[in-house]
Amino acid sequence: MLSPPLLELRAVTVAGRERPRLSGVDLVLHPGERVALLGPSGAGKSTLLAVANGLLAPQQGEVLWQGQPRSRSTGARRRQQRRIGTLWQDLRLVEALTVQQNLNAGRLAIWGWPRALLNLLLPLEREACVQLMRRLDLDPALLSQPVGALSGGQRQRVALGRLLRQDPELLLADEPLASLDPRLAGELLALLLGIAEAPRALLLSLHRPDLLEGFDRAVGLREGRLVLDRPASELDGACLAALYAGTTP
Amino acid sequence: MKPAAPLLVLLPALVLLPVLLLLPQAVHGGGWELIAQFAGAAVQPSLDPVVLGAQLQGLGITCAVALVSWAVSLVLGVVLGVACSRVVWQSLLGVSWPADGLARLLAIPRSIHELIWGLLLLQLIGLEPSVAVAAIAIPYGALVARVVRDLLDALPRSSLEALLAAGAPAPAALLTALGPPLLPGLVSYGGYRLECALRSATLLGVFGLGGLGNDLLLSLQSLQFRELWSGLWMLLAVMLLLEALIALLRRRWAMPARWQLGRSAASPGVGRQSRQMLAVLAALLALALLLAWRLRFNPLQLLRWQPLPPLAPGGWAEALALPWPALIAGTVLLTLLAAALAVGSGPLLLLLVAPWRWGQALLQLLWALGRLWPPPLTALLLLFVLKPGVLPAALALGFHNLGILGRLLLDAAESADPGAEQALQCSGCGPRLALLYGSLSSVANAYLAYGAYRSDVILRETVVVGLVGGTGLGSQLRESLSGFAWGQIALLLVAYALLTLLGEDLSDRGRRTLLAAA
Repeated sequence: MLSPPLLELRAVTVAGRERPRLSGVDLVLHPGERVALLGPSGAGKSTLLAVANGLLAPQQGEVLWQGQPRSRSTGARRRQQRRIGTLWQDLRLVEALTVQQNLNAGRLAIWGWPRALLNLLLPLEREACVQLMRRLDLDPALLSQPVGALSGGQRQRVALGRLLRQDPELLLADEPLASLDPRLAGELLALLLGIAEAPRALLLSLHRPDLLEGFDRAVGLREGRLVLDRPASELDGACLAALYAGTTP
Repeated sequence: MKPAAPLLVLLPALVLLPVLLLLPQAVHGGGWELIAQFAGAAVQPSLDPVVLGAQLQGLGITCAVALVSWAVSLVLGVVLGVACSRVVWQSLLGVSWPADGLARLLAIPRSIHELIWGLLLLQLIGLEPSVAVAAIAIPYGALVARVVRDLLDALPRSSLEALLAAGAPAPAALLTALGPPLLPGLVSYGGYRLECALRSATLLGVFGLGGLGNDLLLSLQSLQFRELWSGLWMLLAVMLLLEALIALLRRRWAMPARWQLGRSAASPGVGRQSRQMLAVLAALLALALLLAWRLRFNPLQLLRWQPLPPLAPGGWAEALALPWPALIAGTVLLTLLAAALAVGSGPLLLLLVAPWRWGQALLQLLWALGRLWPPPLTALLLLFVLKPGVLPAALALGFHNLGILGRLLLDAAESADPGAEQALQCSGCGPRLALLYGSLSSVANAYLAYGAYRSDVILRETVVVGLVGGTGLGSQLRESLSGFAWGQIALLLVAYALLTLLGEDLSDRGRRTLLAAA
């Protein structure tokens, strides 16, 4: 028996210029689930993640968080968003700030103004940041470096660190492995899968179906429609070939 | 403990604390009903055809003065800029010292505000159309010359060297190799100077040199607020139209905005567009010539000096006896206060309105009013409720420059990569904190660098609010000018020039440090 869903999309449609970017998508995510989001480029994977984290509001359909529709009141919506964390494809770090300040940016929603301002003067909660750096296999000496001075792989770990500081219940990740070499990709994926244990859940969009090990479920998008949703173990080559080639799997 | 960029950008706003503490003491009690009348008149400007006709005529003169003085300053600036460029002297004669010498000389006309030039020429020549034009064209020409020299000397020289090595005569080689790449930078800067020229022409009008400024001053002094507002709205329309037109041309020609704050510096378009740029420039210059003829602008008038009253005996001693330390300290205090208000209020206001969709539009309007409003008029308005002193002067100057800095900040924040801000908002962060950590942090250093440059402009501008400040070199200069105290005037001008050159050097250093850190 599954626990009640964390996130539920009901018949979500997002308009696009030529065709809908998402069209009538139904998706339910439960705590503890690790779901891979598959599909060819332009299928709507990033749009789906943007709807999930609240960046985009769908023109039709409903988004429910823990059984409640997304709140219209600003305060309540922000409290919902605080529990959804995103690892962005382009990372979206604050280049002008140090690594520690960037990690702490994950706490801003909880901190409020006084601590947010103080963090710009004297970066806060060093001990927690040092532990986090060790967990991410990063040298704690980097904490005082501007994030712009880091290598690509290091920056990705800092972005993941910011996500961990936010401590969300639902982790969304948009193609996090796209620009990494196989070894780094494997390490990062292991980290993400390790974090996403119940009560957390993970929805990760993926370009490479060969990395599906460790996922519980796979969903597939094509041309804005959800055309695949089954346990990852039941996924076979024919099914994937169909998703990417455009026939019904 | 080094404050991070987004905090740094908020620090100048701390000046609001002492200002707010001092304000209650500066209020003299009465005058609030006048302020209320003034505010109320904004939505019901006078529609009297006689008033509108007179103001339209005034506006026409202001625009004509702006355009003619701009055209003269551009021609003057290009000629002088080429004449003090190192690469030009090196190519022609193989030496560069005359370029440096000439550049130093040009610092003098540049360091004196157009209002001082206007008042000086007014005393020397009398009220002639050419006075306002010359008053703007002299300092602007020197400013353009500096920019042209900097642009020319920063251009890559490989193509010039290739042409010279192939035996091309130096003037032809210079024109071919450096002319086209100079054009985009010159046109971009020229557009900005045209906006400035409109503001300066309005300001000179306030001091009696003709145009709409004078009508505005008279309406304000006779408390005809509805007439004042019809003039202000007209001026606002012209200014916004001009700014929109210049922004359009900048986009069309893919030119970097003035003092590009954002990260993406578009590569200047050279080539096919050069012809369009030259055509627009030529059309504007032709229009300026036509207007100059209509204004009966005669440069020869500038040579007909009126006989001056002789220097009174003991004039120099009297001049030396002025309270110099207090005058200089007053000017510096006024500059610092106004600069901190102008630089600090922009980011603070942007943060305050961040949650509201209409907030930015409201700020745009407020800032447009600040830009267009001549600071002495704001100061006079503030005197309805405040006692004369450094505070109303600083508020007036700060408000005007906030209009210029705020617009730049908003443009930069809008063109900055929204990624980090969106990411923070999606993690449940409020819009204000997301703006502070996201967009403001990425434009902070460049904004402060422009603020440093603007502080140098504010130092020059202290003279325009001198009359209400009652402090500083500006107010003393006004007094000495009306008393024909030539000894005092000469020494005051020297003091002003030295102070501005020092300020320019300091602000240059500050700007370089900030940009290096960005």
